[in-house]
Amino acid sequence: MPEWLDDFLWTYQNLVHALGINGLLALSMYVVLAVGQLSLGQAAFMGLGAYSSVLLTLKLDLPFLAVLPLSCVAPVLFALAIGVPTLRLSGVYLAIATIGLGEVLRAVYLNVDWLGGALGLSGIPGRAESWMIFGLLGVAILALWAVGRSAIGRAMAAIREDETAAQVMGINLARYRLGALLASAVLAGLAGALGAHSSSFIGPNEYGFEPAVTILSFALLGGIGTPLGPVVGAWILTLLPEVLRGFSDLRLVFNGVIIVLAVLFLPEGLLALRMRRHAA
Amino acid sequence: MMRRCFVVLAAALTFGAGPALAEDTVPVGAIEILSGPSAAYGIAIRAGLELALDEVNVHGVLGGRKIALTIEDSAGLKDQAINAARKLIGRDKVIAIIGPTLSNEMFAVGPVTNERRIPTVGTSTTAVGVTAIGPFIFRTSLPEADVIPVTLKKAMSRGVKTIALVYANDDVFSKSGFDVMKAAAEKAGLNIVAIESFGSKDTDFSAQLTKIKALKPDAVGISALVEPTSGVLLQARQLGFGSETLFIGGNGANSPKLGEIAGAAADGLIVGSPWFIGKPDPANQQFVADFRKKYSKDPDQFAAQAFDALRIVAAAINRAGAADPVKLREALTQTTFSGVTGPFAFTAGRDPASAAGVVVLVMQGGKFGIAP
Repeated sequence: MPEWLDDFLWTYQNLVHALGINGLLALSMYVVLAVGQLSLGQAAFMGLGAYSSVLLTLKLDLPFLAVLPLSCVAPVLFALAIGVPTLRLSGVYLAIATIGLGEVLRAVYLNVDWLGGALGLSGIPGRAESWMIFGLLGVAILALWAVGRSAIGRAMAAIREDETAAQVMGINLARYRLGALLASAVLAGLAGALGAHSSSFIGPNEYGFEPAVTILSFALLGGIGTPLGPVVGAWILTLLPEVLRGFSDLRLVFNGVIIVLAVLFLPEGLLALRMRRHAA
Repeated sequence: MMRRCFVVLAAALTFGAGPALAEDTVPVGAIEILSGPSAAYGIAIRAGLELALDEVNVHGVLGGRKIALTIEDSAGLKDQAINAARKLIGRDKVIAIIGPTLSNEMFAVGPVTNERRIPTVGTSTTAVGVTAIGPFIFRTSLPEADVIPVTLKKAMSRGVKTIALVYANDDVFSKSGFDVMKAAAEKAGLNIVAIESFGSKDTDFSAQLTKIKALKPDAVGISALVEPTSGVLLQARQLGFGSETLFIGGNGANSPKLGEIAGAAADGLIVGSPWFIGKPDPANQQFVADFRKKYSKDPDQFAAQAFDALRIVAAAINRAGAADPVKLREALTQTTFSGVTGPFAFTAGRDPASAAGVVVLVMQGGKFGIAP
């Protein structure tokens, strides 16, 4: 490999990893939005995945390929505990419960000594490789696409557009919503583990309310018609601050203007596509 | 459409990295928080760095080569700090990095720069374990554990033998400051007669203060942010604490806001600080005058520490004799420097070696002055 290419890849390695990881997070938001629910717990699920995977790596020294699937366990358990009661209700209850989850977990990370407290956990080995991140992202996109085109996808769309009508058609609302929330927890947990193992440090403030809103904006900017939309949204929001580095002081101004213009002129998201489905 | 987008993005990534640097400059990078909620620290640090750069580049380093300083924004976010470090090393080919601003950012950036063997000098990172990241990680900021003993020594020279400690138990800085204060008091042989705590948002401290008053300690040490510290002082004066009791502040009390909130109630309080604007030595007065001239405002502690840090790095580049990161690391470990924050050298663990630059300040009439 020529030296300049090597340097280029090294320089943008973290950015490339962030593209894949934020893509997974955007998909985890997409799954929940696809059944018409709003969850602000993606960052909390990501934090659970990150903290549990880091503890498995640092304390037990398990190989990363074993850590990765195990990092989904804690997010899934918390998703079950929160989802089972709240998803039987319609409206904003899931959003409220998941905001609460994020804040409670942040307080726990801050106050429990063996979770590092305010100093976080450092010295995490960089075991996340690009092929793992983008392999999982590719698999996730394909799987969500396949599900979206199947009968399940049609049921999800029906729930999103009109709950009552969907229920009359015999769709079990609670089951679909819980399924979506669990899939979302798995994706966020994987993203958390991959993120922690590509940046050597995690701290409690990375998984609070603010990142949850950032993840939501990935999906809204990209558009939620297909799984590709949120991923494109995540990529743009991740790349923008780095691409605009040349503007130094005006960086945030340009960043903001671009996002405002996108929201004003592309209310359906950048990829306002609908999935084509076979006739039933 | 999408393809064109990606081409534009790729082009921006490749060429947007800033103007090409001339051959005869020595590239140095800095990563600071220039946007977001903690931007005040990064902007003060940038001001200190740029002032130092002006001074260094009058003569240049390595026989007249200018330092080309590239300052990148981290926005206080871990990922952006890592991206900035990789960009500085991979594209700007810097031989040293100053920063990042927060200890949390250093824990993310340090392993990357250490792996690439680029000396990295924190000017505001005080957390335990920062320099343990690796042999290329340095810091010039003095941790509180080095400041408090100097303050207590001053108190003991005034005849203090017994002390009561009060602290806010619900925030990290106050709690860790208290731990340091208690350990330092025990080590100095002070008799701790009482330890009382309160919450950062409390407004009534009369129960704790009444109990302390009955024990008649020579001094009261307070570890809390500036608002509760002011509240404790105001209430203590109401309860009849007079000038016979010496109040000692932790790092939270080292803020001009103390005089604004507590007014005359804060008179006589002493606090240790790594730097003070009114330090009379000519180097410091020159720095304060130059800073005011360039920015039309007063420098703070972060600007002063950054001002020294860049000059320490520049001096080390000269001693290294080449723009080479590994030689620069060796030269940095040999640092003996006298700056606006006092005499400076690194320990074997690459932390500041001496607390000789610490000044003990006393509050008088709502303003800090140097304690006699």
